[in-house]
Amino acid sequence: MDIHGSTVEFHGVTRKFGNVVALNDFSLKIKPGELVTLLGPSGCGKTTALRILAGIDKEHSGVVEIDGKDMSSIPANKRNIGMVFQAYSLFPNMTAQENVEYGLRVRGVDSVARSKRASELLELVGLASQSARRSTQLSGGQQQRVALARALAIEPSVLLLDEPLSALDAQVRSQLRDEIRRIQKTIGITTLFVTHDQEEAMAVSDRVGVMNKGNLDQIDSPSHLYNKPKTPFVAGFVGLTNVVPAVAQSKNEVLVLDQVLDISEHAPSLVKGEEVKALIRPEAISIEKAAKGAVVITKSFLGPMTRIGIDVGLHDLIYVELTSKEAKKIDTGDHVEVTISSDSVMVTHA
Amino acid sequence: MKRTLGWSDRTILIAAGFFFITPFLAAGEYSLRGYGGKGHTFANYTWILHQLGFGPALLTSLRIAGVSVLLLLFLMIPTVVYVQLGGRRWARLIEILCLLPIVIPVVSLAIGAQVAMPKRLQSTSYELCFFYVIICMPYVYRTLNTGLQAIALPTLVEASSSLGATPVKTLVLVIIPAIRSATLGAAFITFAISMGEYALAVLLHFHTLPTWATNAAQENLYGSVAISIGSLFSVWFLLVLFSYLPAIKGALQNKKVKVT
Ligand SMILES: Nc1ncnc2c1ncn2[C@@H]1O[C@H](COP(=O)(O)OP(=O)(O)O)[C@@H](O)[C@H]1O
Ligand SMILES: [Mg+2]
Repeated sequence: MDIHGSTVEFHGVTRKFGNVVALNDFSLKIKPGELVTLLGPSGCGKTTALRILAGIDKEHSGVVEIDGKDMSSIPANKRNIGMVFQAYSLFPNMTAQENVEYGLRVRGVDSVARSKRASELLELVGLASQSARRSTQLSGGQQQRVALARALAIEPSVLLLDEPLSALDAQVRSQLRDEIRRIQKTIGITTLFVTHDQEEAMAVSDRVGVMNKGNLDQIDSPSHLYNKPKTPFVAGFVGLTNVVPAVAQSKNEVLVLDQVLDISEHAPSLVKGEEVKALIRPEAISIEKAAKGAVVITKSFLGPMTRIGIDVGLHDLIYVELTSKEAKKIDTGDHVEVTISSDSVMVTHA
Repeated sequence: MKRTLGWSDRTILIAAGFFFITPFLAAGEYSLRGYGGKGHTFANYTWILHQLGFGPALLTSLRIAGVSVLLLLFLMIPTVVYVQLGGRRWARLIEILCLLPIVIPVVSLAIGAQVAMPKRLQSTSYELCFFYVIICMPYVYRTLNTGLQAIALPTLVEASSSLGATPVKTLVLVIIPAIRSATLGAAFITFAISMGEYALAVLLHFHTLPTWATNAAQENLYGSVAISIGSLFSVWFLLVLFSYLPAIKGALQNKKVKVT
């Protein structure tokens, strides 16, 4: 299969529905063969971005380019983009094989060639033996595999996946997720993946873009996003984060929970006396049993880790994660002393 | 989802069925009576076939019904698809327009609308097709609308389009097959109404099966009932045949796929 990854670019794309700004000055460049994920809560504009790239939605300002070519005048059916939808997108009157052949059929490819290609693709997604089935005879996971094969059959320049796993149950979901990534890497196709599930985003992507109310807040590699979130929203969406009020003590120091932390490593450039928010990952906090002070309120077992919620006198509990072995020593109602290690604390002005 | 019927449901069903079926049985029996009401015979049915004008009238009606079906589907499928896909702001207006014919008396239609038809059309029996399209529109609109609501129309259209299909290809290859049973239902309603319509045909002086039957009935009362029963059952037969055809075809195909 020779699909060559294309470059995809959004330049200042804005889309409004009445008063709702679904996408706000959205810019993004995807490198050939890269898998970029748009991550964000429901309604943040992920689908809108995909639909604009696919040419289904054309009521936007700004420009979309594929391989440097402006797509404005190119209709959806001429863009050569493969799409996989959330669910129920297989043509109900066709078998799996016919679904996969469809894109080639409308292109006028002869039946021998398209049948051969459809078989290859069904093989690739592990469904060679199910080719004669209709969608009603396939499980949700199988349907999505067929949908993927169908999208790839046209040798698209870009693959778009709109929450393709969200209708599936957990086990199938993680299995298919890994498989999508494997296939994407094998073929080397440029891919834009959309999800509201941060774990899914982290697992499959080269880069993840976190979206918030139509804005692309931050786009980075999964590890960067986790370790260096730029906004509280990103920090909160990508893994659990404590957002704690803090006061600047100097250009590089903040007072958080009665502790002065040097955070010069993150180059914050604070103004003394300024009120900011500190973003603290659960694993950056350690606790020690004490005679008085903060109180352990909740304790939830997460397998190897246990999450502990502590009342430190703020409106919200702060959360700490300990190995379940360590956590055995601590019970709800215990008093603890809280220590924060400064190297993974960030501050924001928001 | 299976629901068992309570005794009251059963009673109603049986009563309604009785009410529905008795006239048919009675008419059927009557149509089989021999000359002078003695004995039972198929003579009344064979009589039909030998009547002058039966063949041409039947052909005219079949032709008109066929053209009406095609016209109506050609008009309504794209319209209903459009309404569901984004023409929502027009939905109310189109719905009202499509349902309007129910409340317009046929006579006023015949007199009023006929004037609006092109001259050339007025002189052929195909003029009736256009009236039948109007008369059948409400039923067809409802049937197709329900059929389209049962499929994930926007997603299917977007999928088809992203795979390179033009809107026409999407309509023909994806949408129409996906709503096949609704389309068949709509076709049958139209066919049945067009085959049986009498008032317009008579008012506009066309010779169709129903107008011929009325004339013929004046000579032979048994025969006229035989005509009604005969046409009813032939339409039913076609209906059953066509609606089971896909199921039969599907069953044959499924035999090849082992469902595990
Ligand atoms: N066809 C539409 N009409 C009106 N509002 C819409 C339409 N499509 C999307 N929106 C609005 O645009 C915003 C973004 O939607 P969407 O891109 O579907 O979000 P996501 O895919 O991230 O859940 C939402 O507020 C949604 O209500
Ligand atoms: Mg969405």
